[in-house]
Amino acid sequence: MLTRKLGIIDLSKKKVTIKQTPNSLKKLFLGGRGLNSYYLYKMIKPGIDPLSPDNVLIFGTGFLTGTLVPNSSRFNVSAKSPETGILGDSNCGGYFAAELRYAGFDRLIIFGKSKKPCYIYVIDDDIEIKDAKDYWGIDTTEVQQTLRKDLGHVEVAVCGVAGENLVRFACVRTGVKNAAGRCGLGTVMGSKHLKAIAARGTQGIKIAHPEEMLETVEQLKEYIMNSKITSILGSVGTPLLYEVSNAIGAIRTKNSQLNAWSDTLNADVIETYVEKMISCSSCIVHCRHRNKLGGEGPEYTAVGLLGANLGIENTAHVIELNNICNELGLDISSTGTILGWAFELYEKGFIDKKMAEEELRFGDFDLAKRLLYKISRREGFGNILAESTRNVKRFGKKSENYLIAVKGLPQSDPHDCRYIKAFALGIATSSRGADHLRSRPTLEIFLRLPREVKEKIYGKGIPNDPTSYIAKEKTVYFSDNIFAAIDSLGICKFICHGFNSPHFVDYNWMKKLIHCASDWAFKEKDIQEIGKRVIDIERMFNNREGISRKHDTLPKRYFDDPMPLKVAKGHHIDRKEFDSLLTRYYKIRGWTNNGQVKKECIRELEALM
Amino acid sequence: MKYLYVYPEKCTGCRECSIACSLTKFGECNPKKTAITIVRDEFNRYEFPIVCFQCEEPVCLKFCHQNAYKIEDGVVIRAEDKCIGCRLCAVLCPYNAVTTIDDEIIKCDLCGGDPMCVKYCSTNAIQYLDETDELEKRRKAMAERFLEIAKK
Repeated sequence: MLTRKLGIIDLSKKKVTIKQTPNSLKKLFLGGRGLNSYYLYKMIKPGIDPLSPDNVLIFGTGFLTGTLVPNSSRFNVSAKSPETGILGDSNCGGYFAAELRYAGFDRLIIFGKSKKPCYIYVIDDDIEIKDAKDYWGIDTTEVQQTLRKDLGHVEVAVCGVAGENLVRFACVRTGVKNAAGRCGLGTVMGSKHLKAIAARGTQGIKIAHPEEMLETVEQLKEYIMNSKITSILGSVGTPLLYEVSNAIGAIRTKNSQLNAWSDTLNADVIETYVEKMISCSSCIVHCRHRNKLGGEGPEYTAVGLLGANLGIENTAHVIELNNICNELGLDISSTGTILGWAFELYEKGFIDKKMAEEELRFGDFDLAKRLLYKISRREGFGNILAESTRNVKRFGKKSENYLIAVKGLPQSDPHDCRYIKAFALGIATSSRGADHLRSRPTLEIFLRLPREVKEKIYGKGIPNDPTSYIAKEKTVYFSDNIFAAIDSLGICKFICHGFNSPHFVDYNWMKKLIHCASDWAFKEKDIQEIGKRVIDIERMFNNREGISRKHDTLPKRYFDDPMPLKVAKGHHIDRKEFDSLLTRYYKIRGWTNNGQVKKECIRELEALM
Repeated sequence: MKYLYVYPEKCTGCRECSIACSLTKFGECNPKKTAITIVRDEFNRYEFPIVCFQCEEPVCLKFCHQNAYKIEDGVVIRAEDKCIGCRLCAVLCPYNAVTTIDDEIIKCDLCGGDPMCVKYCSTNAIQYLDETDELEKRRKAMAERFLEIAKK
């Protein structure tokens, strides 16, 4: 269990060093996102250019990845983000992470820059840096299939042409659609001339207490399968969330000028395009759609951001845009947000026809499709859009008023956060910018959930009203911590307590699973502390890059424009209320009033490390 | 007699069956060191479980020079003490259901009547069923389909 190795790869010198991560560090951060964030903090000097050889790119599997533990398929890719200039980190499923572990490695740390396109081949305790000239310039599916032809059944993480061309929101992809999508980590691969990492191995993960793991997983499986949400996710997947948000009028539509959109994108319509529901490694939920249009997906983010946000109603069109993004290696969340922003800026006159090379408008599928290709190849106007939120400089300061992003990261959640206040605080404070997968307390959407259930999870004094600011710092604090812990274990958030259901993997289950795998006896509180520690070290990284209270804010539209439609009509974020909510959040985290991790906390943490 | 039946259309490719098998037999999580293998290819769009059918006239038994195989209550069992590890059984099995890895030859023994692969499958893609009941069910389903087509 604890014997997997750490591969350190210097692409400039073509040098590979194989080491072991000390168990003392694993006890502090477990693995996955936690250890990645530790290494980023330790290895990246503040102020470096994310596209320079100095950037450090980490592929780290979770503590339990590749085991019998349900949904233990995950790994995190981390580096300084070329999209935001702060912490870049993205979690991903599929089969790559498990295979990396079967090949003998927990984590690869990559720095420098290869002179020529290369790929990394990891096979049974060995790492080779190989020539990728035959694979460069090839779309993500074809390159993975070609590598399988050449090397046998490898599992591969790649960047697409978007990454090669340094589009600032290029994703890392594995399989047909699994992506470490956010923060431009495919761009970092491209900047290092690294096309792919292929892994293949036959080494099992030794379990400390096999019988105990078989028993615990049997119980956990029954517990998870008994939840209503499991069978819904297993039959329709995440598009379910579209309808839930749309019903209250909280789907970002046409760059958040509107807040509700068409029923043609509801899960039951998407379902008619599904050939089969499939899984990631060890997953018992199987939320992935194999679609009839040749790809996988769409997920909720694609439905919202390539559909509603671009004013596109046609279901097949949305699925096709989703499939194209995956082939080119574009992050769907950033792509949909940036396109929607550009369309509104064109309407408002910030972008003219000369710059855009053609008329921009919502609802035009062919235009959207054309722009995806142009962005990925940095052609013409695509070359401008490829700079993501940095275009505020080009389009003018006032263009920022229409940008749905925080800390330079376009918002991933298609949910319009003006209505549910905890969601708003979550995206304002998340360590990678406007993103829902760091802290989204999804239970806030389920309006009829009894108050006792919420209080049991988040603590006393949580009102049942999602539009209230009261005590919402507690829901975000709880979710932040437990999501950081589950990301470090390598388990999918879909079975995390408090994300989609109040009956999933909580600290008690985590404690049992860690024990049967490794014999380590953690208390529930210890694991919560690990989550908290991960949040602290990520904030320390960001503080060092200049992040403080003034950056923990929201898109201007969320404050100043009341929502126009449905239940959410009239709602917006009150600046004063938000400000005091933020103060309470810092207080519960133990950060200064300016959003800095306190000096004594840094000293304490550094002494531990 | 109960045997394993597979339903590839229900298989999601997760490999919990394989991992449960390797954990039970070897104390490790390894979908490649297992008596049940999931062949999956997301690009060519299939997931397919490969299991031992416990043949009545098993090729593994027939060609084993060491007589390491025997049939016990309808289950084809390999006696480890007799096996010399020549791997001929794995080479000859027409269903490629015998695995060889790390000097181990792995052959499904139905876990003594409580197959772990079935227990940990979350979609019923592998089922442990009475052959008579199952055949009856399949024949009935086929008849119903036939009648449905005949109506059209």
